[in-house]
Amino acid sequence: MLEFDGLRKSYGTNLVLDDVSFTVAPGQMYGFCGANGAGKTTTMRIALGLVRADAGQVRWQGRVVDLQTRRRIGYMPEERGLYPKMPVAEQLEYFARLHGMNTGAAKKSAKDLLEGMGLGQRLKDPLEKLSLGNQQRVQLAAALVSNPDVLILDEPFSGLDPTGVDALAANLSERRARGVPVLFSSHQLDLVERLCDAVGILAGGRIVASGTVDQLREGEAKRQLRVVIPGTDGSWARDLDFVRVDSEANGEVLLQLEDPGRDQDVLSAAMAAGSVSQFGWRQPSLVEIFREAVAA
Amino acid sequence: MSEKSAYDRTADVPMTSSRIVRLIARREVSTRLKDKGFIASSVFIILLIMGSVVFQVLIQSGADEVAVGVTGEPQGLSAAIEDQASALGLTAEVTEYDDEAAVREALEAEEIDAAVIDAESVLVNESLDERLRVAIEGAVTGLTIADRLAEEGLDPGILQPVSLDVTSLKPVDEESDEKAIVAFIAVLLLYTLLIFFGQFIAQGVVEEKASRVIEVLLAAVKPWQLLAGKIIGLGVLALGQLIIICAAGLGAAIAFDVITVPGAAIVTVVQVLGWFVLGFVLVAALFAVCGALVSRQEDLQSVLLPMTLLLVAALFLAITAGQNPDGTLAKVTSFIPPLSTMVMPVRVATGAVQWWEIALSVALMLVAIVVTVRVGGRIYSGALLGKGGRVKIQDALASERVS
Repeated sequence: MLEFDGLRKSYGTNLVLDDVSFTVAPGQMYGFCGANGAGKTTTMRIALGLVRADAGQVRWQGRVVDLQTRRRIGYMPEERGLYPKMPVAEQLEYFARLHGMNTGAAKKSAKDLLEGMGLGQRLKDPLEKLSLGNQQRVQLAAALVSNPDVLILDEPFSGLDPTGVDALAANLSERRARGVPVLFSSHQLDLVERLCDAVGILAGGRIVASGTVDQLREGEAKRQLRVVIPGTDGSWARDLDFVRVDSEANGEVLLQLEDPGRDQDVLSAAMAAGSVSQFGWRQPSLVEIFREAVAA
Repeated sequence: MSEKSAYDRTADVPMTSSRIVRLIARREVSTRLKDKGFIASSVFIILLIMGSVVFQVLIQSGADEVAVGVTGEPQGLSAAIEDQASALGLTAEVTEYDDEAAVREALEAEEIDAAVIDAESVLVNESLDERLRVAIEGAVTGLTIADRLAEEGLDPGILQPVSLDVTSLKPVDEESDEKAIVAFIAVLLLYTLLIFFGQFIAQGVVEEKASRVIEVLLAAVKPWQLLAGKIIGLGVLALGQLIIICAAGLGAAIAFDVITVPGAAIVTVVQVLGWFVLGFVLVAALFAVCGALVSRQEDLQSVLLPMTLLLVAALFLAITAGQNPDGTLAKVTSFIPPLSTMVMPVRVATGAVQWWEIALSVALMLVAIVVTVRVGGRIYSGALLGKGGRVKIQDALASERVS
């Protein structure tokens, strides 16, 4: 378990984190969402010991994260950075060794990773000679090269083309399957929805929603029932006194119930109005959940 | 270390501080050795120092030795010129020629520096060395007076100078001049290398900040380990360079007889090496901390200026101390780090320094190193993640991270 417990941080009078707590389970991919300046990067930096929290702690396997445990964390900072003039393989090897690998294992791991990313021909090239996309790959490799037990990645998908996104997603899934907890932040909510087992939404320095995507949908206050009766308008629904119609178009009606238990009453009314082709609770997208959580 | 791991950790190495510092130092060394700019400037410095030693050798070897040709009367002029010259600190090699034509030829062929003809005129190629002129005049005058005395029936022996019995209260150290020259060259060398490597350290620190690799590094190592690794890595390179220069310089100096007492010079060199190690650690730490305060190479020179001026001041004080090693200024500054690293070796070489003075100076230096690495390490650590313009020292101390 990777636990963030009651983190607080302020810079001067500016409160950046206000009691941030959440947990990433082993083998869980946790998407960390929030608007710019919500405090995602600060939270991650606290876990890596780069920023000192005013209160609270980060624990891994029940112990407060210290420098020893930190070496088992793979970290990709939001502001990318490696040595521009150092050959890529040598560079990865260096980081692997700083994280505790012996020379042989570090060499092998660096080579394998780069070859797996299609950079087998570029091992001896200095980083600055690579294209930006390839530099981004090397940056990710730097986070993965020591085979970390925990992954904390700040916006790992930003700047990647669709192929790059798929390759990274596959790589992360493989590590998740080994039981590695993966925490990553992203603005691309569709991606988070597709990849993550759990999501945390940070707004104004607080976790405003946290859990699996399904749990978040359950908790959605504004659950909508979607009914499609081709060739009708929404008048049948408007006549019901226990619903509120949100929208109606082309036979499709979206409505909310005062009492969610009366969904079958809606179905009966709909069937009376015509031939029902679709009926069900609408699945709100993460974007909608996010908007509502942030607005609340 | 975590109890459970998703991967096989049997091949992992325990990460002690010394291991981390070694890894960082090794990277510094190997990166620099591959850096063409570094190699080029190193070679330039070595050549510069060698060149100045060779220049010194040429000047010294030519200056105090003269060759004189003599022809005609009177008898004994050759010996008289040699005597007079040696009293003036010149080594004159006098050759007698059969006639004026022969001596002229030798002069034109630059075999001799001056030709004395019949004790009446002197021929030279360009100009006559002032001391040599005095020597020749003295020799000729002495012989002439002796001749006239003999003509008057007097014993020329009355011209023998009275020999004074001289007792010195402070015996002059025969070796001190040589020691002073060696110490001066060594201090110049120290200054050059400290500035050179200080710049490299500061640039390396800024490079890590500018490229943002610092955040990846600090997630795995402590700032002081990074600082120590850098200082040790570049220190090894600097010491290597210094040893090459010293060995070659000493070798050349001994081979060309500039130094007649190699033992004393070697002691001075070893002493300077010791001071270099102390001074390097302190100066490197100061430069690194300054480098951490800025994020771009363009801003580096302005923060380094005070440090550079400090070193210039140290060089100036060291030169002053060479002229007046027991003066108050030299005495005081030989205890103040980092000035002491350049002033003390000069004082030791040229003046009378008590053993406790050296011990005190070294102790103060060590204290300064510990304080700088501690406080500097905190500033370094607090400033490393700061970005944009210049980080203020107090902000850096306030935002120092946990570990």
